[in-house]
Amino acid sequence: MAELGRAALLVTLGLSAYALAGGGFAAWKGRRRLAQSARNALIASFFSTLVAAVVLVVGFLRDDFSLAYVAGHSSKALPTQYKLSAFWGGQEGSLLLWLLVLTGYAALAVWLARKRARDLVVWVTPVLAGIALGFTWLLVAVSSPFDVIPAPADGAGLNPSLQNPYMVVHPVALYLGYVGLAVPFAFAMGALLSRRIDERWIVTTRRWTIVAWTALGIGQLLGAHWAYQEVGWGGYYAWDPVENAALMPWLAATAFLHSVMIQEKRGMLRVWNVTLVSLAFCLSLFGTFLTRSGVVTSIHSFTKSSIGPWFLGFIVVAVVFAVGMIWLRLPQLRTTAKLESLVSREAAFLYNNLLLVALCLTILWGTAWPMVSEAVRGETMVVGRPYFDFFLRVFGLPLLLLMGIGPLVAWRRASLKGLLKTFAWPAGVALATGVILIAFGAGSSIPGLVAYSFSAFVLATIVHEFARGTAARRALTGEPVPTAFAQLIGRNRRRYGGYVVHAAIVLLAIGIVGSSAYDSVTEGRLAKGQSLAVGGYKVTYRSLGEREGPNATEVRAVLGVRRGGKDLGTVEAGKNAYSVEQQVSNEVGIRTDYLTGEDLFVIAEQVNDDGTVFFRVFTKPLVNLIWLAGLVFLLGSVITLWPDAREERRLATRYATARERSDSPATT
Amino acid sequence: MLAAALVVAAVVAVALPFLREPAPASDALHELDPAERRLLEAEEERDRALAALQELEADHRAGRISDEDYRAVVGSLRRDAAEALRTLDRLGADAATVRTSPLRAGTSDAEAKID
Amino acid sequence: MARKSSPARLVIALSVAAVLAIFLLYTSLAGGGTPSVSPRELPGKTGEVALAGRVVGTPTGDPHGAGMQFVVQDIDGANKHRVTVLYKGSVPDMFRPGRDVVVTGTQHANGVFLTKPGSMITKCPSKYQAADTPG
Repeated sequence: MAELGRAALLVTLGLSAYALAGGGFAAWKGRRRLAQSARNALIASFFSTLVAAVVLVVGFLRDDFSLAYVAGHSSKALPTQYKLSAFWGGQEGSLLLWLLVLTGYAALAVWLARKRARDLVVWVTPVLAGIALGFTWLLVAVSSPFDVIPAPADGAGLNPSLQNPYMVVHPVALYLGYVGLAVPFAFAMGALLSRRIDERWIVTTRRWTIVAWTALGIGQLLGAHWAYQEVGWGGYYAWDPVENAALMPWLAATAFLHSVMIQEKRGMLRVWNVTLVSLAFCLSLFGTFLTRSGVVTSIHSFTKSSIGPWFLGFIVVAVVFAVGMIWLRLPQLRTTAKLESLVSREAAFLYNNLLLVALCLTILWGTAWPMVSEAVRGETMVVGRPYFDFFLRVFGLPLLLLMGIGPLVAWRRASLKGLLKTFAWPAGVALATGVILIAFGAGSSIPGLVAYSFSAFVLATIVHEFARGTAARRALTGEPVPTAFAQLIGRNRRRYGGYVVHAAIVLLAIGIVGSSAYDSVTEGRLAKGQSLAVGGYKVTYRSLGEREGPNATEVRAVLGVRRGGKDLGTVEAGKNAYSVEQQVSNEVGIRTDYLTGEDLFVIAEQVNDDGTVFFRVFTKPLVNLIWLAGLVFLLGSVITLWPDAREERRLATRYATARERSDSPATT
Repeated sequence: MLAAALVVAAVVAVALPFLREPAPASDALHELDPAERRLLEAEEERDRALAALQELEADHRAGRISDEDYRAVVGSLRRDAAEALRTLDRLGADAATVRTSPLRAGTSDAEAKID
Repeated sequence: MARKSSPARLVIALSVAAVLAIFLLYTSLAGGGTPSVSPRELPGKTGEVALAGRVVGTPTGDPHGAGMQFVVQDIDGANKHRVTVLYKGSVPDMFRPGRDVVVTGTQHANGVFLTKPGSMITKCPSKYQAADTPG
């Protein structure tokens, strides 16, 4: 089986090399059949990679421990779903997953675009092939999942912290996101290579970008939820380099999503857009490098492996290529359209972009600082939470406010009178909210109070927009409210889907602020019958029990929860001891109040021999809004992604008129 | 062996375009010539201008933009749209084919045969 | 009311300058981070550092009481130095002899490394590949 896997990857290597060389030559010299051949090679490379992936999956399912990778990440006792997810539990397997998603996306992209923009797509093939070649090379020559060893009796098992449902979805979602950014990048490079300055590449990749961005966002939320529930250190985001590795490309992609709207509406920012998408893609490569090479101290980091230098080289090539292409085409990309006013929607989008990129770059700096300082000063400096928290506030709060302002400011230029009229009511709501919150004690955190007020502002503008739009529609058509509402969204999917996404971000902000600025924590060692008081709750340690799970011994302390004299039931917290893997994992107890979104979070830090337990208890107000935000985010994305027949027709007419069709023998 | 079958399949996939058309009339990839490019850009300009006008009207109707602001901007937007349409007419007159359906349908048939 | 030149360039330049100013101000006030050192690099370092090393021997004491005492050793290189660490606070699940940890703290006069409570991070061991967490 291993030979089949290795052979399949070699086939992928050959195919992607051919697609790169042949595709590049075909694009350069304008050879139709060669271009089709290269495209076929790229599509075929997905199938050969799929074969390799299936071989590995079968190896896991069959407990084939002659495969070193399977032996290192699985065991006989491992439940089946975790045997499957063990596929991406280690470096080689996750590289294979990356390649599988990449070739899958690449095949789909060039297949869907085969009849359109031939001169553009013909360059997309070699760019995607080049990326695929890089990863295939790593898999074939440097880090192969098909290394063979004398089969041991049983495998080493999967790290217990990976044995949970999140392991099945979180990495896949992230990879769908990371890798997805390669498609708009390739199209952007294709546009530059084919000397096209029109927005064809943007129009073609708009949905790709949104899908990748959504997947990356959801993947991060899943990761945060995992950290919160399973890892159980009491939080959901630690500014760990690997967490930042996913956040940075997401921020760049968010900026990109907004700035392409300006190119669409005003024809401006062409150079900026190409730069942004390149930045997003290079950051996703960098993110993969950070996670896989262990160069930065992190709880997620791996052994300093040999792929580090290769990855770095890969990123350098991508950066040099992108910068080079942008530089070459700079004269053609410049436009005459100018920013007319500092108070306009274009300007608001510009500020949004500046803030997002500033945040992204400060996170990049903080994350890369250990590497940089080691290289430059010989001393590895590590940056802590306060740095990241500071810049999140400095850039994040204005961004939050802008979310409410941007969609309502007029294009080109907005008059001051118009602004006052538009924002008087939401500003009033925000002010009132602030005052009420101070009365409730929110003044204990000024950034928190500001964030809440801004959130109220944004939510007010969103509600107002929906209300006003529905009313305007009703005035026009006389439809009943639900119909008008649905029609409003249906006819303006991008706008109102965008509003829903903004609402999700606001919910996210409120959840984050509540659980970090207004949380409480208490800790102490308790004997049975003793209690701790935290944030209005009284938690009493009642009993300690032990039971045998499928592959671990589970120790649980049972605690009673009371608030304001009312009995709220019990919560369990403890530890699991895994026999095969010889490891202990923390199992936290969380009691969710669905009315307020608050969590009572209990960690049994240390179970002592005398039956006493050292507990750490948190209250996390509003934290569940974060998870709710994820659902709203998904909904908003789906709305914006939904196909719009009218828009499709308009675009089809435009591109047909410009005779952007196949190279039929009937022409010339 | 499966590996051999994989290699064969890969080679076939790659060779397919050459096998299907051993001696085509033209192997040239259609690239947009400068005229077509200008036409495309003009179309985008027109779409942008018309969309901006439409959005202004919709915003005005919905009450997002006051009468004053509307009046201040609508003139220049209308001028931009007229300009874009004029440019497009001028370029469109140079182009051989515009919207005549039979020719476009013929092109699609040819496309289908090639692929 | 056409403007002679686009204010965009000016705005961007000013904004970038503002961002840099905030950044430089922050780092000059808050410092450039904590140095990460190995046990052999520790002697002579004053101030707060992040000590990275491999746990050897058996830890003693109660991290939630008087403190847990353990020894860390250089991860690589010949001639491995050792440092005794006194740690209070939460201990991550992965902590055990043979694992790599990072603790933040200062070197005390008597040679013991006193840590900031709760500052321990563990890294997964090299030969136990299954400990890799996904990206």
